[in-house]
Amino acid sequence: MATNPAPARSDQPGRWWQVARPRRPAHLALLALIFAGLAVYAWVVAAAAPFSRGALVGVVIPGAVVGLVASVRPPERIPPPAELDMIGMSYWVICLAVFFEWEASAWRDSSWPWHPSFTNLIDPLLGPHLVKTGAILVWLLAGWALVRR
Amino acid sequence: MPPIPTRAITIAGFAVAVVAMIVLEILARRPGSRIPTVGQWLGYLMRPKIGRALVLAGWWWLGWHYFAR
Repeated sequence: MATNPAPARSDQPGRWWQVARPRRPAHLALLALIFAGLAVYAWVVAAAAPFSRGALVGVVIPGAVVGLVASVRPPERIPPPAELDMIGMSYWVICLAVFFEWEASAWRDSSWPWHPSFTNLIDPLLGPHLVKTGAILVWLLAGWALVRR
Repeated sequence: MPPIPTRAITIAGFAVAVVAMIVLEILARRPGSRIPTVGQWLGYLMRPKIGRALVLAGWWWLGWHYFAR
């Protein structure tokens, strides 16, 4: 079993909908402000042209911030499980292996449009500015979630 | 029956893999599940410093790959 000796309240499988920690209005307002700031940042970065300096800086800054926070002043971390159930984990390994094998074969064949890679399929979906903004926002939030792990 | 184009097979393969991972995550969040959630196995991988560095580097690479180029 995927055991976790002292799971954080927001990290209990089966009870994930109970975002139970009571938050004060000031805390919620701060979170809303941070979220709005990240959304604006994502909107600006999404407007940068591919391969431009602006697009590069737009991903370098969050990377530097996350790296700095993770190494210098990491936040309170969610305790990782002491061990993973090997059978349970094997399902993930199989799925990931299939995905990367499929991607590797597409990359090796390099025969767009007959055998497109995952990137070939995702890039057109990221065309609309709003979609790209949302994707960047999710990426930023994922970075913060990783820092807390 | 017309032949299924290679492109459709490729897209179906990616769709199957992605849907399977979404289903796994849902199953993992059931009470008492033996399957770890993404957060749990990533947290496990990030216990050593090198694992933490590699996972964060992978996260950054994804951002660069999809948003900067």
